[in-house]
Amino acid sequence: MLQVKSLSARYGPIQVLRRITLHVDPGEIVAFIGANGAGKSTLLRTLSGLHRPSEGEILFEGEPIHRSQPDRIVRLGLVQVPEARQLFPNMTVRENIELGGYVHGRKHVEAQLASIFDLFPPLAARPGQKAGSLSGGEQQMLSIARALMARPRLLVLDEPSMGLAPLVVEEIYRTIEALHAQGTTVLLVEQNAMGALAMAQRAYVLESGRIVLSGDAAELMDHDDVQRAYLGKEYRHKWER
Amino acid sequence: MPVGPVESLSREEIRLLQMERLQVTLNRAFLNVDFYRKRLDELDLLPEDIRTLEDLRRLPFTTRQDLAEHYPYGLFAVPLKSIVRLKITNSVLRDRGQPIVVGFTRHDVGMWQSLMKRLYEQLGVMDRDIVQVAFNFSLFPGAFTFNHAAEAIGATLAPSATISARLQLQIMQDFRSTVLATTGAFALHIVETMETELIDPHHLHLRLVLLGPDPLPAATRNRLEDGLGAPVYGLYGVNEMVEPGMAGECPEKAGMHLAEDQFLAEIVHPVTGQPVAPGHEGELVLTTLTAEGYPLIRYRTGDVTVLQEARCGCGRTLARLSPIHRRTDNRLSIRGIPFYPEEIENLLRELDPVLDDFRLVITTCHGIGDQLELLLLRESTRDFPGGSRSQYLEAIRSHLRRVLGLGVRVSLTDRERMPGEGLIYKTVFRSAEPFCPA
Repeated sequence: MLQVKSLSARYGPIQVLRRITLHVDPGEIVAFIGANGAGKSTLLRTLSGLHRPSEGEILFEGEPIHRSQPDRIVRLGLVQVPEARQLFPNMTVRENIELGGYVHGRKHVEAQLASIFDLFPPLAARPGQKAGSLSGGEQQMLSIARALMARPRLLVLDEPSMGLAPLVVEEIYRTIEALHAQGTTVLLVEQNAMGALAMAQRAYVLESGRIVLSGDAAELMDHDDVQRAYLGKEYRHKWER
Repeated sequence: MPVGPVESLSREEIRLLQMERLQVTLNRAFLNVDFYRKRLDELDLLPEDIRTLEDLRRLPFTTRQDLAEHYPYGLFAVPLKSIVRLKITNSVLRDRGQPIVVGFTRHDVGMWQSLMKRLYEQLGVMDRDIVQVAFNFSLFPGAFTFNHAAEAIGATLAPSATISARLQLQIMQDFRSTVLATTGAFALHIVETMETELIDPHHLHLRLVLLGPDPLPAATRNRLEDGLGAPVYGLYGVNEMVEPGMAGECPEKAGMHLAEDQFLAEIVHPVTGQPVAPGHEGELVLTTLTAEGYPLIRYRTGDVTVLQEARCGCGRTLARLSPIHRRTDNRLSIRGIPFYPEEIENLLRELDPVLDDFRLVITTCHGIGDQLELLLLRESTRDFPGGSRSQYLEAIRSHLRRVLGLGVRVSLTDRERMPGEGLIYKTVFRSAEPFCPA
């Protein structure tokens, strides 16, 4: 579904992604984990067309999109839920959701609205409330709901658990799993490595702009490198090599 | 026999998967192994500069010598804490010389087992099979993988190790073994025993026979298939990586499917190191794609083969290796025990510093090394180290038995009767036919 070949991205003189190659197959949940500054968010911004790659190719359903405009990419079905929600706080829940579908036209928005509200009962209860006054978890849901309005075939989530209480994180993850069960392919970036690995089938570990580990998510969860990097375990053993 | 998703990817898809995994191997090797980092530094390359197979060819080969020089942990890419299994290869080298040790993480062991499982499955071995594994586990520790993979697919495992052929046959009959995994040499011995014991192959229940790790001459395969009444399939592995499990035949017997999702293969000219044209014979060079403990980049296997990329009659798209009947170095094998003439020379020179020359005489049966004889040449005027002539010969005999795990006939000869060297250093082959047993 998604094939990224030797993709590089830079901010001025700083190289953030170093020719990374990866793929996402239809029906998968793929997680990208890595520390702060590893290049995770840059990767997602590049996929969505918000940042131009300095090199490499991105193929979505076989179509090259690395030179496409963001709205074209959304229309193809690659839709991103941005980091820190990025809602319009002074607009209502309903208005925020409607905005997500504008690329497909007003008819589509009206047709979709009901099914989106079905998925998120807490939002359906308060369609007129200002987005800025929702709780963190509800805001994240709203952000996902807005993305769903764009009819994603590949839903890309940037740190959906950020700043949320553990119980709320679980709820968000359940929502993502439900969407996946309905046939949406998911690419997810997380600092919360264990949570993301528990949900994903496959994962990539990014370190200073390079993929240093990839494989089966369940296997990576027990992987010594992941444990070392994210749980700070066993650092004292490093000298043994 | 179902064809798994990895086994039916298009060539383009396999190539993409390989390049994706190669990036991880190169990154990890660069970040964690000084040996590879230094090599890249010398070429002024970063791991991300290798984007294609052509780029990979800019990196130098890794040789057996490199592995020996970095013994024990120099090429490990993870701390020992993350290693769950060590494989100390080539027991011949236990005493002196240059041992090699390979480390496997939990992932590596799982990967190895899953590859062997795949080879069983591509031959239709399933949970109802009774798998008899007859290997010398101390000489060929990889043979445990036959056991682990058989259990993983739910088959019934009967590890019979090194018990006599007669007992093996008894187990085969009592438990109705359907699959026999062993070496070519031992399978021949079993067939001979059947003939002397007058056991009809119809009294066995074998569905198939898997032979490794040595290559299988066509004549031997025919003889075994007649004698055991079941098809015989070959396997391939590389001692310093994964053996067995790396490649194996499918029922088409049209070459051994290589696990290209785990290993990237190149075929190069043994002398120039340049790639040969597709479909031509050359030395197999392999790069591990997911091995974490002991990544190897462009490792020269010494095995001469042809890589065929065309889709196989069985539907699998994984490239096939033709059977390996030649090596680029002098590695020899007697009844599945590998050794190098150079190693024997080192051992001999240590035991007898004034030894003039020697020959290894290998008696072959059905194309497989069966017996080893050692001819020694030394000036008769010199005293024998260790006492009398017979004590001297006995000392060498017992020393060789200890390091090789193999009985060797040792005798003295003179210059006139000393045979000339063949193509392989200090080595002469003699076929025992028509005097091979049965």
